[in-house]
Amino acid sequence: MMRRRLLPWEYGVRNLMRRPTRSALTLSALSVVILLIFVVVGFIRGLEKSLAVSGDSSVVLVYSLGAEENIENSAVAARTASLLTASLEGIQNRFGVPHVSPELYFGTRVQTASSGTSGLGLVRGVTQAAPLVRRSVRLVAGTWPGPGEVMVGKLVAAKLGCDPQDVQIGQEITIEKKTWRVSGQFEAGGSAYESEIWCRLPDFQQALKRQDISLVAMLMGPRMSAADVTIFCKERTDLELQAVAETDYYQSLQQHYKPVRMLAWLVVLLVAGAGVFAGLNMMYGSVAGRIREIATLQAIGYRRRAILVSILQEGMLLSAAASLLAGTVALLVLNGIAVRFTMGAFTLRIDGMSLLIGCGVGLLLGIVGALPPAIKALRLPVAESLKAI
Amino acid sequence: MKTSLGTLGVLLAVAVTAWGCGSGDKTPTATSSVPDSRFTATSEPAEAQPVGSARESAEDAQDIVVVGRIGGSSKPFVDGVGAFTIVDSKVAFCPEEEGCPTPWDYCCSQNEVKENIALVKLVDAEGKPVTQDARELLNIKELSMVVVQGKAQRDAEGNLAIQADQVFVKP
Repeated sequence: MMRRRLLPWEYGVRNLMRRPTRSALTLSALSVVILLIFVVVGFIRGLEKSLAVSGDSSVVLVYSLGAEENIENSAVAARTASLLTASLEGIQNRFGVPHVSPELYFGTRVQTASSGTSGLGLVRGVTQAAPLVRRSVRLVAGTWPGPGEVMVGKLVAAKLGCDPQDVQIGQEITIEKKTWRVSGQFEAGGSAYESEIWCRLPDFQQALKRQDISLVAMLMGPRMSAADVTIFCKERTDLELQAVAETDYYQSLQQHYKPVRMLAWLVVLLVAGAGVFAGLNMMYGSVAGRIREIATLQAIGYRRRAILVSILQEGMLLSAAASLLAGTVALLVLNGIAVRFTMGAFTLRIDGMSLLIGCGVGLLLGIVGALPPAIKALRLPVAESLKAI
Repeated sequence: MKTSLGTLGVLLAVAVTAWGCGSGDKTPTATSSVPDSRFTATSEPAEAQPVGSARESAEDAQDIVVVGRIGGSSKPFVDGVGAFTIVDSKVAFCPEEEGCPTPWDYCCSQNEVKENIALVKLVDAEGKPVTQDARELLNIKELSMVVVQGKAQRDAEGNLAIQADQVFVKP
């Protein structure tokens, strides 16, 4: 009967309590490791979410052929919007208003008036047709920008690296040597627009001393697709335009950032590797001091498998506690932290998948860290181990 | 935490730059499907004219035969639709030894392309482009030489599109 039994659950728990300092230090080390994994996984998930929600499958972007895949480099004639509206029949139109948004998109230095902080900002000059096409954008405070005014996305402060108070409604910022008053704040469902500053198109053209625009965004009706617009652009070679579905545009950005994501996963692996060493160190120390005890357990009839399970239980208890601790900190502190990035800004995202990966890796650390020392201890002959000091 | 996130961002951005520069070789790909007999000419149509001269002389709705090389931009094919652009063969595309990953975009001779390019549309009975990729329909790829037989479509700006009935792919 004895030979079939596992060691009592309390045995493993009490073993951890016998060396409280060592257990606490290991718990701390594992918690930090798992927290770092949460940071990196949250970074990956945040970046992916930001790009995934940025595209609208019904929106087609038309921009300069010479800009290749970078809309910031694009410059097309201001008349392009009206030309496209007149030439294409399938554009969404309600109450006589075509859903066509001419936009001037430009990355430039932005300085806040209150603190003098300066950072690279993304500014989009738009008309009042923009919300018809950019359907995720919601004005959450203040008003739509009037002359000399801007409205800011909720991640603009993170993008500029300034205090959120510096871009509150009523504050002033300087763009292209011109002072602008913040009139409103907007959200865009976590999309890339949230790190942008929007102002009136004519004002921005005047500030940049440009008469052209960067792109035309169009909301397609049900019987029109990006391919139809592409055919138009290829027919009208004199216009030197190209068209891309907005979802494809952000998909190409996903591809562009693939190396970043792969590198981030590599960081997860490396950090997890460090965690394994922390676990190994602790468990080797723990088992080395208990060789006689383990041999005694074998001598009184406990099977090696039962002792192995008990040692693994200790490792897993520690790593599960560390996972819970790190998960709680990640949810309460890390989730939603804004991160500045080349394309704008996005928030760290500790979602279900992040928790699954973080806690899963954490539990794995406990098993992988405890297994080698446990096997090593059990391989020693019982008679020899009983004489060990 | 803010500092560590910033450092992480910088490291990742550097990695993107380093990684992004290395890759980029794009080889033209043709699907291995059987060409659609509706549009495939079994023999080369006679008296084909180059794209450049067709742009000068062809009139709207005129029956024409035009020869050219598929290209003119980094994406000469319209995804999911039977349409692509061809360029006059007198315009040189980027030589292979220059290592250009997309020689069919004629990046070395863009100014010449403007006057020597035409859009080819494989159309159905109603004159609308068929909703099947031209690469699948004709088993063609970038830089393939094709002879297109169809009806010219001109506009006031001098652009030329061809509503193609038959396409012969030169070996």
